[in-house]
Amino acid sequence: MIKNTDMRGICRLLGWLTVALVLNGCGDSETPASGDAVTSTIDNSVEVQAFYDANPDFFSFKTPADLPEGLNWVSGDEFPEMGSPQAKKGGTEYRALQDFPRTLRTVGPDSNGGFRTLLLDDTTLQLAHRHRDYFDYIPGLAESWAVGEDRKTVYVKLDPAARFSDGVPITADDYLFSFWFYRSPYITAPWYNNYYSTMYTNITRYDDYTISVTIPESKPDVEKWVLELRPQPRHFFRELGDDYVDRYQWRFAPTTGPYVIKPEDVKKGRSIALTRNPEWWAQDKKHWRYRFNADRIQFTVIRDTEKIFEAFRRGDLDQASLNLSEYWYEKLPDTAPDVQAGYIHKSIFYNQRPRPSYGLWINTSRPLLDNRDIRLGIQYATHWQLVIDKFFRGDYGRLNTPHDGFGEFTHPTLRAREYDIDLALEHFAAAGFSRRGPDGILLNDAGEKLAFTLSTGYQSLKDVMTILKEEAAKAGLEFRIEVLDGTAGWKKVQEKQHDIHFSAFGVILEMYPRFWEHYHSDNAYDRAFLEDGSINPERQLKTQTNNLEAFAVPEMDRMIDRYRRSADTGEMIGLAHKMSELHHDYASFVPGFYQGFFRVGHWRWVRYPEYFTHKHAAGAGELFVHWIDPAMKEETLEARKSGATFEPVITVYDQWKE
Amino acid sequence: MFNFNPQTLKKLRRFREIRRGYYSFVILAVLLVVLALGELLVNSRALIVKYEGEWFFPTYTAFHPGTDFGLEYSYEVNYRELQAKFTAEDGDNWVLMPPVPYNPYENNAAGGIFRPAAPSLADQHYLGTDTTSRDILARLFYGTRIALLFSLAFMVWVYLIGISIGCAMGYFGGVFDLFFQRLIEIWSNIPFLYMVIIVFSVIPSSLSIPSRIAILLSVMVLFSWTSMTYNMRTETYKEKSRDYVAAARIIGASDTRIIFRHILPNVLSTLVTFMPFVVVSAISAVTALDFLGFGLPPPTPSLGELLKQGTANLRTAPWIVSAAFSTLVILLTLITFIGEAVRESFDPKKFAFYR
Repeated sequence: MIKNTDMRGICRLLGWLTVALVLNGCGDSETPASGDAVTSTIDNSVEVQAFYDANPDFFSFKTPADLPEGLNWVSGDEFPEMGSPQAKKGGTEYRALQDFPRTLRTVGPDSNGGFRTLLLDDTTLQLAHRHRDYFDYIPGLAESWAVGEDRKTVYVKLDPAARFSDGVPITADDYLFSFWFYRSPYITAPWYNNYYSTMYTNITRYDDYTISVTIPESKPDVEKWVLELRPQPRHFFRELGDDYVDRYQWRFAPTTGPYVIKPEDVKKGRSIALTRNPEWWAQDKKHWRYRFNADRIQFTVIRDTEKIFEAFRRGDLDQASLNLSEYWYEKLPDTAPDVQAGYIHKSIFYNQRPRPSYGLWINTSRPLLDNRDIRLGIQYATHWQLVIDKFFRGDYGRLNTPHDGFGEFTHPTLRAREYDIDLALEHFAAAGFSRRGPDGILLNDAGEKLAFTLSTGYQSLKDVMTILKEEAAKAGLEFRIEVLDGTAGWKKVQEKQHDIHFSAFGVILEMYPRFWEHYHSDNAYDRAFLEDGSINPERQLKTQTNNLEAFAVPEMDRMIDRYRRSADTGEMIGLAHKMSELHHDYASFVPGFYQGFFRVGHWRWVRYPEYFTHKHAAGAGELFVHWIDPAMKEETLEARKSGATFEPVITVYDQWKE
Repeated sequence: MFNFNPQTLKKLRRFREIRRGYYSFVILAVLLVVLALGELLVNSRALIVKYEGEWFFPTYTAFHPGTDFGLEYSYEVNYRELQAKFTAEDGDNWVLMPPVPYNPYENNAAGGIFRPAAPSLADQHYLGTDTTSRDILARLFYGTRIALLFSLAFMVWVYLIGISIGCAMGYFGGVFDLFFQRLIEIWSNIPFLYMVIIVFSVIPSSLSIPSRIAILLSVMVLFSWTSMTYNMRTETYKEKSRDYVAAARIIGASDTRIIFRHILPNVLSTLVTFMPFVVVSAISAVTALDFLGFGLPPPTPSLGELLKQGTANLRTAPWIVSAAFSTLVILLTLITFIGEAVRESFDPKKFAFYR
């Protein structure tokens, strides 16, 4: 019997270890392909038509004769081509995914994962795209476009050559349909429902290849709102109905872009591949012909970051991000044998674009944190410069405002507050925290401790948290660190459950920063203020918004409203600066750091244009200007065996360094 | 209290005879004492400071701001710098630092950059530093202490709950027994680790670190007490049907008296034998949880967290994983040896042969 109990102890130990391994090793098991199970046929054409008829103001049908006179049609033809003429088509590129995509839909539940960038954002065409050197628009699915006199309407002539990947021409009807699609309750995506109902007021069909789209207020960048639209294939979504989520879960929608996913390449939980469509309609078109060069991009699921890197070092993966200092300097140093032998190239590219707002978001609705002196104290007690100098090894820069990188819209002189223990203590003392407890943390007269939870969803940056904690303790401030996984962290701030949260909002390449989302009182509280402008005593925090600071200042609201209505760039710049100053004074955001570059390691056979990539690129892979050279791959693999070496290549592309 | 009966004395004697287990026990006991006095050995606070004729013993007292020793800052003194300063001044002031002059939380980057540094005698980082330049020996030391305390507390609680419920089930039997058997069957089928992860993820982090550790402990106990009840239940059943219990009942002893005076002492010897194994599994569990990032809240030093860092930096900083791994192996081996010896010495069949 004794022996038996002992065995149980060991079994339990083994059990724990196994669970640990399983949790670490795999997660997604195979989900039955629900798409196959759906058999009932749906045809929504009547319903769509009825919706058009019911909303005649939104969906208009006119003739080419109705187009206004004197439109100035622009086609963006004058800009130099993106990509390199040396690029060769062919080869297979090997990449890793940390998580298998939960769905192949691009809208609806679970669709907002990392893989969507590859399904949609980076690989499909919009009406037009911003040229990544010039910021102006170059044609995608549109041939030319013209902005109406009111600066609210954009007229677009579609490229008649444009086809979906299944060969069906892309016509005006697909654009009308996409408005129905995005506004339909079937897609179970309230954000899209709201966005496409409120941000647009009209779409007009003039003929098969001419449309116009109108937005509610005139904007200096009205083109952005219209030209960045993507059509949904009407013929494919004819079956869109109540069961959308299941019916389209694993069906790859016909795409406007170069890559398709074949059903046999979807190995759930393991791998997925993008295959280049040899019939892609834009493959000889300017700006597109030298991009998207690999014939096939094979993604293998590897959950562990370290394993991904090891797979790269083995040559199983073609490229690896070396953005983190420890990778650039230690895990793949310039002296690494593979680098010195010229097998692996290292590249740093300095880019220019709006910077993600890494920093501490202080929830001002919390007790103590609603006190400006406490917030100022936190500003001075947070030692970002040390993190930048010692953890990021001086490669990163200090963020000054959450709106850095927007050119003229970024405040020219505002600077983030430097770490200063004396100033921090002064401000904490002003808030009543003037004596230190036995552990060195400040106390107020009521014996309350100056301690806040500092949460984050970035597991990889948890070391940053411990550094900040140690430094803050010198100023008598305690940070209680909470490291959550990404989803849980996001959920926490969306429910406004945080004290102070370390996070960043990714910023898309656009002309001017957004203020409404983060600083308007509408996004902080339900009815933040009463009619007379005083604070509503019964106001409730509003959840599921991006106002993470619970920032509610009437003056800011007024400026944001003007900013949103304004069509005058000069006025908007002035307002943006004033709003940044107000926000800086309010001290509810401790600006962290920004990375003015990206850096990658890539095997020799991954070739880049001589300028690497374009000025506004977000990452090395974003624009698909690289290509795979199969001959070179063979040569390199041979050389690795025989010991032959090449010139080491470590390149700094600083032509756009700020 | 130390009035052991001859049976127990015999067992203890046999335990001493089993060398491997006995020496493991001695080593572990010494280790526990050393760990208990850890602040004197591994600490960034000085043992003794003599400043301007006054003596300071900062180890266990409230913190001293820099101004106490003629420095300009109001936060805690950096005693290592103070020592260097006093040595340079060559006056009457001096500082005596512990053998390992670092605490497990401070980032002490010798080269000015936070990255793993190899073991170095000169820097007094005897096992090197981790990815944010914290001393590994200090983190291992306090990590082990927390893991041991944690698992001992875990064991005590699992035993208390397991013994009381198991004993009651065995003694009272009937509906009570049936009900708890079913309950335990259901309860023990809930996957332990997942539950700990789920429950612990909803615990608000605004609580202080000790209370979060206490919550983790109670959650783990909540899902681990069941295995103990079965042993207790069968043992109690067995003892209950013995003649001496019947005799005690006939002379009118109460249930409490029978349980505490007669049954428990006879059953405990079996329970003692797998105490060490419960400790082993508790250490493994909390290490596994830490490894996965669901265990002790950061920046609490822990073996699992070090192992995780170590595996992530296997190529560039092998000293992290080797230190953490050896500590874990040594610790678990010691306890397992003790466990084996206890089991053997408590075994009535002296010449039984276990492998």
